[in-house]
Amino acid sequence: MARIYQVPSHTRLWLTLAVTFCALPQLLKGPLWQGGLFALVIAIRALVNRQRVALPGRIIRSLLLMGAVALTFYSFGRLYGPEAGVALLVSLFGLKYLEVVSQRDAYVLLVLGFFVCATSLLFSQSPLMFLYVLLCMVLLTACLAGINHSDTRASGLQHLKRAGIIMAQAVPLMLILFVLVPRVAPLWNMQVGNGKARTGMTDSMAPGQISELSESSALAFRVVFDGDMPPPAERYWRGLTLSHFDGRAWQQAIPRGMDEARYLYGGRGPTPDWVDALTAGRGDGTSYAYQVIVEPTQRRWLFAMPVPFVSEGGVSLARDMRLVANNPVSQRQSYQVVSVPAATRRLPLVAEEKALMLSIPDESGRRARGLAQQWRLENPSDAAVVQQALRYFRQQPFHYTLRPPKLVADPIDDFLFRSRKGFCEHYASSFTFLMRAAGIPARVVVGYQGGEQNSLGSHLLVRQYDAHAWSEVWLEGQGWVRVDPTGAVAPERVERGLRAALEERDSGGELSGIQFDGFADSGLLGVMREWADYVDFRWQTWVLGYDSQLQLSVLSKLLGQVTPLRVAITLMVSVALLLGLYGLYLFWRNPAHSQSPLEKEFWRLHQRAQACGLALAPGVTPSQLASTIAERWPRAASPAQDWARYYQRALYDPRQKTRKQQMRHLRGLRNRLYKLLD
Amino acid sequence: MQALDKALAQVGRVVLGKEEQLKLALTCMLANGHLLIEDLPGMGKTTLAHALARVFQLDYRRVQFTSDMLPADILGVSVFDPSTQQFSLREGPVFTQLLLADEINRATPKTQSALLEAMEERQVTLDGVTRPLPAPFFVVATQNPVDQAGTFVLPESQLDRFLMRISLGYPAPDVELELLAGGDLRQQVRELKAVINGEGLMKLAQVVGKIRVTRELLDYVQRLLDATRSDDRFVAGLSPRAGLGLLRAARAWALITGRDYVLPEDVQAVWASVAEHRLSARQGGSVAAISQSLLQSVPVVRR
Repeated sequence: MARIYQVPSHTRLWLTLAVTFCALPQLLKGPLWQGGLFALVIAIRALVNRQRVALPGRIIRSLLLMGAVALTFYSFGRLYGPEAGVALLVSLFGLKYLEVVSQRDAYVLLVLGFFVCATSLLFSQSPLMFLYVLLCMVLLTACLAGINHSDTRASGLQHLKRAGIIMAQAVPLMLILFVLVPRVAPLWNMQVGNGKARTGMTDSMAPGQISELSESSALAFRVVFDGDMPPPAERYWRGLTLSHFDGRAWQQAIPRGMDEARYLYGGRGPTPDWVDALTAGRGDGTSYAYQVIVEPTQRRWLFAMPVPFVSEGGVSLARDMRLVANNPVSQRQSYQVVSVPAATRRLPLVAEEKALMLSIPDESGRRARGLAQQWRLENPSDAAVVQQALRYFRQQPFHYTLRPPKLVADPIDDFLFRSRKGFCEHYASSFTFLMRAAGIPARVVVGYQGGEQNSLGSHLLVRQYDAHAWSEVWLEGQGWVRVDPTGAVAPERVERGLRAALEERDSGGELSGIQFDGFADSGLLGVMREWADYVDFRWQTWVLGYDSQLQLSVLSKLLGQVTPLRVAITLMVSVALLLGLYGLYLFWRNPAHSQSPLEKEFWRLHQRAQACGLALAPGVTPSQLASTIAERWPRAASPAQDWARYYQRALYDPRQKTRKQQMRHLRGLRNRLYKLLD
Repeated sequence: MQALDKALAQVGRVVLGKEEQLKLALTCMLANGHLLIEDLPGMGKTTLAHALARVFQLDYRRVQFTSDMLPADILGVSVFDPSTQQFSLREGPVFTQLLLADEINRATPKTQSALLEAMEERQVTLDGVTRPLPAPFFVVATQNPVDQAGTFVLPESQLDRFLMRISLGYPAPDVELELLAGGDLRQQVRELKAVINGEGLMKLAQVVGKIRVTRELLDYVQRLLDATRSDDRFVAGLSPRAGLGLLRAARAWALITGRDYVLPEDVQAVWASVAEHRLSARQGGSVAAISQSLLQSVPVVRR
């Protein structure tokens, strides 16, 4: 085979690096055997490059291929779908690398490499991953530059430099295309599971079943307020309401007999009466406008403060005043909300609903029932009963802990009268039970409470350990009113967050179980975390969040009216402008067209002498110029000779480096000459 | 550098009033190039060559070229030696350090090209045996420009082998008077003192390669070359080899002038003798006039 068609040796290292880097994201999260396969391929290639062994023959390659396909099937149970498909692609990518000999093979490999890079973005779209993919693309471009280099002695670094320049040149074009090319909604919705949802929130709640809360510091969602931020104690982000209690667990439920289709309203079709009622209250009192950017949960629930109003497509309002996504949230998603807390009073409580909100299983919580009925007798109004209950929690020796003992027998009675140790779920559960037993419609709400402010972006960060459960009770004339019994037991949990609550009454190292990633850490680490969050947030809002809607608003700011013709013209003009700028740059950079300051210096004097009536050919040398001047103006003779001597050295003696000082001196000499001419 | 000045002074004692040409001849030797002297008979060509050989202590031979000359007459011939029953090589006049090839255009092209090949390769292949020529090796060839009857004009490709072409011309009246008053020229040449030897000359030639040039100067040289190519008064422009020769000659000139970097003046000084014999003008043009006009019109400093 002719040597010229082979992959040149100076590109082999880049090829290995490019292949490794492109495959690395998949290797890190994929099955272990894939890493082994790549290590094997790279080891074989290294030996082949040193001419220790020959390239494996067709039989070995076929065996490896069949092995990779079989193992992929074994690991994923199928060969299609995003995870299995990408794993298979990456394996084939590695095997293709094994058989690269000629330039043509390398082309196939590199094009495949770009594709593999792109698949990494299916699984993560963080700014770091983006930078990483850029790095991979620089490496791939370096390989392309390398295999097209005819000089077999070229240095590898040169390829990297060239690739860097090419990529840097592509960046403005990329930005123009990013901003201007119309965004099309994805043709298919790819469900890429990020393993299990690690949310701190679950869709059912069974206090006592779990004795320990596993909480992580992972981000749940971010909130950007358009105006004022509510005080910390008001920041209750409702996720789900749990209305059905079976004695052990609270679950979501729709009132018996209520039409499920009427329970959710997605903005289409006739508006249900409860939507009308809520909408009527939109102008009541304070309202908060904000944008929520939620991390993927693989669930449909969304988070908002009561009562949320959305205008976004894809998000529905449920009768229990919460937001529901039309599709499971598999990627970061953002939605704009206006919350009007006071509008809750407009919502009627219909009979079916009231029945559900009062239902408790007959056999559970007998002592609790007695207590509740006693309160009912003592207090005339529902509000007073609520206060009585909260007083009870405050006065009895209840203890806030993340590691409560397991509840035996009846979880309600056992908690209220025996263990009295628990976290939000225990309090919300038992409080709601007590309310229902006292004849007050009540339900459990789960979601997040609080959040930490990032001072750079002035947005709110809600993490998994901010997950919380509380209660809502129906009070006549006020509608659903939030009551947080945990706040009665551990007020700092509500006001300053979980960490404060645990620090306050840390007994037995509960803090050690949770990793806090807040900005509260003073010093560099806190600042860095704040910055990292800010970058991630801006990335989310400006890059990933740049959808057709945002594009429309940006374009209408740029172009006024957005028509396809205008967008097309802007696109063409800006691309042409950019290419024109590149062209101009190349033109000016061309040594034939650029004059150094020193060279300009000569022509200035030349021109001046000509203007003073000296006939000069363009071909005069500096010293000839000086002597011509000296002939014509004898008094200028000596400065002219000085100038020529100095100038000659500057321009033609390589050891003489032109410095600013020198240029100034030359200019001084020339100016002195000017005065002596004419 | 002093040695060079001395050498110039020595040669100047026998070739009177031709400082410029002497300097060019010396430049050509320092630049390791061959010299073509185009002149009428009796202008001092032989004297010049002989004087150069004396001053630099070089082996010197002279060959008068004629139309019946064969390559073997220059390169040498294998002769059968009956006593040893073997062929032995009898080296021709080319095996010397300075060869004066008088009236080179009188020889047939075959003989001319034999010499020119030896000049280029600096070696001679006879009967399959390659023998290097002595180092240094210079050829000073002469040509009579007027008497063209029975001559074979050197084609451009052959002329390219000569780094420089000079002509001596008639001496100025006062110089000629001095010449007439002087004694026996041959005797005077023999009395010239050696200044350096061949080895010293080669060392100096190495120094020439180290004479510094800046990007700006190279730029100027390139502009000059380009100008000959784009000027349609010439049949063809200068070759890259000519460009390299021009630069080498300019370096040698700078060395003789006593500078260790090249100025545009150096390029202009050697320009005519390096460029003109390689160029030919279209009908009615004078190569010298056109090449001088290029020096005027090509900007020395980039504009």
